[in-house]
Amino acid sequence: MDKGYLQISFAWLFAIIVGAFILFLAIYFSSKLINTGNEEISAKTGKEFGVLLNPLETGFESLKSSSILLPIESRIYNKCTLDGVFGRQLIQVSQKSFGKWTETDLNAGFSNKYIFSENPIEGKRYYILSAPFDFPFKVADLISITSQNKKYCFQDAPEDVADEISKINQENLYVNNCSARKANVIICFGNENGCNVYVDYNNGIVRKGTDSVYFEGNALMYSAIFADKAIYECQLKRLMKRVNTLANLYIDKANFVAGVGCDTNLNVDLLALINAADNFRESSDISSIKLLTDEMNNQNGVAMCRLW
Amino acid sequence: MVVKTTIKLRRMKSVKKNKAQFKIQQMAFMLLAVTLFFVLAGVFVLTFKLSSIKESATEISKENAQLLVTKLANSPEFSCGEAFDYSKVACIDWDKVMALKQSEDKYKDFWDVSNIEIRKIYPDMGDVECTSSNYPDCGVIRVKEGGVLGAYISNFVILCRKDSIEGSVYDKCEISRLMVSYNPVS
Repeated sequence: MDKGYLQISFAWLFAIIVGAFILFLAIYFSSKLINTGNEEISAKTGKEFGVLLNPLETGFESLKSSSILLPIESRIYNKCTLDGVFGRQLIQVSQKSFGKWTETDLNAGFSNKYIFSENPIEGKRYYILSAPFDFPFKVADLISITSQNKKYCFQDAPEDVADEISKINQENLYVNNCSARKANVIICFGNENGCNVYVDYNNGIVRKGTDSVYFEGNALMYSAIFADKAIYECQLKRLMKRVNTLANLYIDKANFVAGVGCDTNLNVDLLALINAADNFRESSDISSIKLLTDEMNNQNGVAMCRLW
Repeated sequence: MVVKTTIKLRRMKSVKKNKAQFKIQQMAFMLLAVTLFFVLAGVFVLTFKLSSIKESATEISKENAQLLVTKLANSPEFSCGEAFDYSKVACIDWDKVMALKQSEDKYKDFWDVSNIEIRKIYPDMGDVECTSSNYPDCGVIRVKEGGVLGAYISNFVILCRKDSIEGSVYDKCEISRLMVSYNPVS
């Protein structure tokens, strides 16, 4: 009996195998290229996001608000490292592509930015709150980032805080009547009941669940409210590194102005501040340094030549 | 008769063999051409992508310099703050910048720009670079080594310092230009 063999010539077999191989390579490299493209967009967005924060450097304002709209739904990962002289602010952006979040290891790094936020923050529109941190001289602008998806309400806030928040008109920040405003996060200054965040304004403590962080001044208070504890503590250490460098700068400046007959008498205090900033470990140390900075500020105010 | 048939068969086999060899050769050339095509296409795509990445990087650097130059005078290392009698915007504390110049190694990558320079416009002091020995009789302060090269963005600022006449200390402010340069990615 004859058997029905499927006769395939060598040429066909060869073409099928090679064709399949070429197709496999084409699909593999295309998917790699798409991934690289997504990573490139994420890295570019991260860097651009950081660059767009430059205009938020405050002059004489106590609080400044702005918003950034990204083209697609994104997740911003806020990272902080203590490497180098000033530490680094790292931003990683993951964007939604075909319903999936792109994965990337690429970080956009900045040494002169201090971003306080939850980790990650998700959304399309982001609100940026910038507040100058003086300790006792201006150290940096603290940038708090929140998403439009989250609404914050300040209940029973002290008058200056309530005024500041009302004046900047940031769309996701409200003052009082929190239950009626359907806020996601209620920040209480008086009664702790029914609050997501409790601020002990007089003692400089912000409490979120079991986590507590310490602050001095409104700029740090806003940062503590909007940021995760780990981010807040890390950024505070970075700020102390900058306090250290700036204090050294003011010592050098004091020597320059001494040349024209201006004695500032602040060098000893500046050295003490450098020492305190060097020994800073966590936010609970801040109140002890604040005593020194208040004293320095008074002394600078009455000096013949003010240093800052 | 048998010999003739055998010769014919051998010839036919030889022709078939030659044909098969030719086909294999044809296939090999085809494969080579296809591979070469894909390699060239890949190289083209990569070159295109790389050039667009470089373009984006240059664009971001430029944007950073543009936005930075408008606000740099307000940053703690430059700003006058309340050190002078009247608080001013876009005011640079010259004494502080001279101190900053001495710690330039610490601030090497701080602002993410290739260079920062302040040039006095009035009174014009030429290209004399400020050092601790000739300060304040100089015209250019370079915060970073090397000075402004290539592309730069500039902004007008006031440069203030403490001066004295016969023991009496006063604020002296001069018009200057703050220049920030960036490196286009090549």
